[in-house]
Amino acid sequence: MVAVKEYNIVITGVGGQGILTAANLLGWAALNEGYKVRVGEVHGMSQRFGSVISYVRFGENVYGSMVPEGKADVILSFEPVEALRYVNYLKEGGLVFTNSRPIQPVQVAMGLASYPSHEQIKDIVENKFNAKYISFDAESIAKDAGNIIATNVVLIGALTQTPDFPLSPESIKEVIKVSVPKKAVDLNMKAFDMGIKTAQELLK
Amino acid sequence: MAKVTDMVLLNKPGEKILLLGNHAIARGALEANIAVFAAYPGTPSSELTDTMAAVAKDAGVYMEYSTNEKVAFETALSAAWSGLRSMTAMKHVGLNVAADTFMSAVGMGVEGGFVVMVADDPSMWSSQNEQDTRVFGKFANVPVLEPCSVQEAKDLTKYAFEISEKFKHMVILRTTTRSSHMRGDVVLGELPDEIVNKVRRHGKFEKDPKRFVDIPAHSRNFHPKILENIEKIREEFANCPFNKIEGNGKVGIIAPGLSYAYVKEALSWLNVDDVKILKLATPFPVPYKLVETFLEGLERVLIVEELEPVVEEQIKMWAYDKGLNIPIYGKNIVPRIYEMDTKRAVIAISKFLGIETPINFEELDAKYKEISSVLPPRPPSLCPACPHRNSFFAINKATRKKAIFPSDIGCYTLGVLPPLNAVDTTVAMGGSIGVAHGLSVAINGAANEETYEKKQVVVATIGDSTFYHTGLPAIANAIYNRSNILVVIVDNEITAMTGDQPNPGTGETPHGVGKRIPIEDVVKAMGADFVEVVNPYDIKKTTEVIKKALEVEGVSVVVSRQVCALYRVGKARKNKEKLPLYKVNTDKCTGCKTCIVTFGCPAIFWDAENKKAKIDPTMCWGCGSCAQVCPFGAFELVKEAE
Repeated sequence: MVAVKEYNIVITGVGGQGILTAANLLGWAALNEGYKVRVGEVHGMSQRFGSVISYVRFGENVYGSMVPEGKADVILSFEPVEALRYVNYLKEGGLVFTNSRPIQPVQVAMGLASYPSHEQIKDIVENKFNAKYISFDAESIAKDAGNIIATNVVLIGALTQTPDFPLSPESIKEVIKVSVPKKAVDLNMKAFDMGIKTAQELLK
Repeated sequence: MAKVTDMVLLNKPGEKILLLGNHAIARGALEANIAVFAAYPGTPSSELTDTMAAVAKDAGVYMEYSTNEKVAFETALSAAWSGLRSMTAMKHVGLNVAADTFMSAVGMGVEGGFVVMVADDPSMWSSQNEQDTRVFGKFANVPVLEPCSVQEAKDLTKYAFEISEKFKHMVILRTTTRSSHMRGDVVLGELPDEIVNKVRRHGKFEKDPKRFVDIPAHSRNFHPKILENIEKIREEFANCPFNKIEGNGKVGIIAPGLSYAYVKEALSWLNVDDVKILKLATPFPVPYKLVETFLEGLERVLIVEELEPVVEEQIKMWAYDKGLNIPIYGKNIVPRIYEMDTKRAVIAISKFLGIETPINFEELDAKYKEISSVLPPRPPSLCPACPHRNSFFAINKATRKKAIFPSDIGCYTLGVLPPLNAVDTTVAMGGSIGVAHGLSVAINGAANEETYEKKQVVVATIGDSTFYHTGLPAIANAIYNRSNILVVIVDNEITAMTGDQPNPGTGETPHGVGKRIPIEDVVKAMGADFVEVVNPYDIKKTTEVIKKALEVEGVSVVVSRQVCALYRVGKARKNKEKLPLYKVNTDKCTGCKTCIVTFGCPAIFWDAENKKAKIDPTMCWGCGSCAQVCPFGAFELVKEAE
């Protein structure tokens, strides 16, 4: 265990993408590594295909379940615009790590709103909020691993390679192993490792 | 990350696990040897109820999903009267439903410990208002306990049972969205033998009309006794192990419940350590003795409290009577609306201490405001394949949107959003039918009046669970008073929004099969003038039946029945069943956007480049409704080989 005073992850995306599962997996891994842990989530109506934010915090001492604005070390996002929606949570010099495939809100399809371009999102994160922005197609990687459902595992695998990330890939893998159905263990391990590999290349 | 039921029943005292606040409360209730639990689900309390349902048989606990909070309250209360430890759980607005019994039963006391878990929703993440249950506790003279962490949620539950039994007084365990839906590390305590050995405990009711019959002659004795009891409990709370004085300094902060967590974090972020803190787990009644000890040597005090100034009012009133002349800050610095968080605590404390915040929040807010126009809104929406969408679509078609649409509390409230726009009012559970009746009587008059004239069509929508909850008296009223309305009961055969709980329409109970009560039988028996059951996945038929129902004078009921798509798909996935999938035939799609601007399934999006509709295969659940909506037959079933 790397001694960390406090580490803050914000996980964002669209309801139904497996955000709560991802938060719970990371929370357990942190617990197993001996940290104090808080995971913050919202249930109920907002989960229905709406914008979702959850929080994972761990360290020597953590109290509230929500990461305060300006204090997140990393935003792990399942959808690009949902990363941008919560960019104010990121600390100065933090990192946005997102799945690249946009999901169009109904309002956009109806012509009532427009979806920003990839360049625009990257520009705002990097130049306005002085943070790093990395996006990659985690869904395709999950598909290659065997099932799109493993997208969250690909993203978590990738997350472990980000600079100064305190949790070890092994402890997260242990949690995934006991959390998914036995038949799905191999697939998830493969997805996790593919996420690691992708991130290593992206972060070179 | 084991199954919740396994974790909550894990018989390993001292083991540290990660639990959701609501799961921890369930564990606390089991450690306290609970025997009866009854509740109606409501976010953010539902996971406690569902956990109790899941473990009931394995823990020897009687558990029921009651039809509403009042019935649930009465069920659990009676168990406590019979000497058993019992609990009910609800969201804040659920206590309004239970309030009639709640207010009157306080003075009767309890034999077994009785804990009323009420989950508030500051900021209204999934609620219609943000009332503060601590005010309700003070109003009713029921002690309120409030945890600051997941560990404390478990431990405080156990303590709540002990206090309730010791003083023969019901106790409120108050949480908020953030404490109910926070996961945190919890060290397990011991489970009693009865729970481990699945021993179902039964109570005994000792008759005592002077105590349990609230005729005025009896009730007059209740009030003085209640007030006397509250003062005894106030004394007790001075020694409550969950109330603590920490640190030293000339200034102090009082932090009830979860606000303590935010205050601790704020002080650490601000690098301030010369502040004395009073951590308060008992916002009502505030233990004045402890406050007096805390105030010794202090020059100024700040109360960091979420929502209403409940602790502030108690302390200020007491301080005035005591002649204390110490400045007490509270709601003049700390916001009274929306939820507390670390940022708010930091801003309040820095104002109180006259120091800078660690980051410039105003600058950050301004920067964020500048970019917010770039963000397309993404409110929650009805799921793909949701039968409610079809019901609203059919209602819109049948009425050509020329009706008033009172609706109710459930997933289908989302029918308010474009493109359906089929919800004009919602107030409270069961409110749709009462409002529909009231509007119709106000605008058209009642059908048995001489001046009656149908000027405006009124169509109410209400879910199955909500109908059993509080729709029943409302529809009896509408039928009895000769209303002219259409009630579409959108029956998705489950209590969907709170997490798929059973209800009388499903007939399932945690202890096995109960008795199913079909909605159509109920409304027929009540004398509705038109009753028909339709499947909303057949849009044409549903539209026709609604049109037919609108022609009938009186109260018409259409039961629009199709199981919740999210529930159905979840089961199918578990059983590894393959779902059908639809796609757009681009030769047939004219780009007319009918599917998008009238139906609005989240799986259908607009391909701006080719000016055609497109289906996201990861979101389509294969109901085929789009194929019925499209005027050009452009949606086609994807064949196996593709």
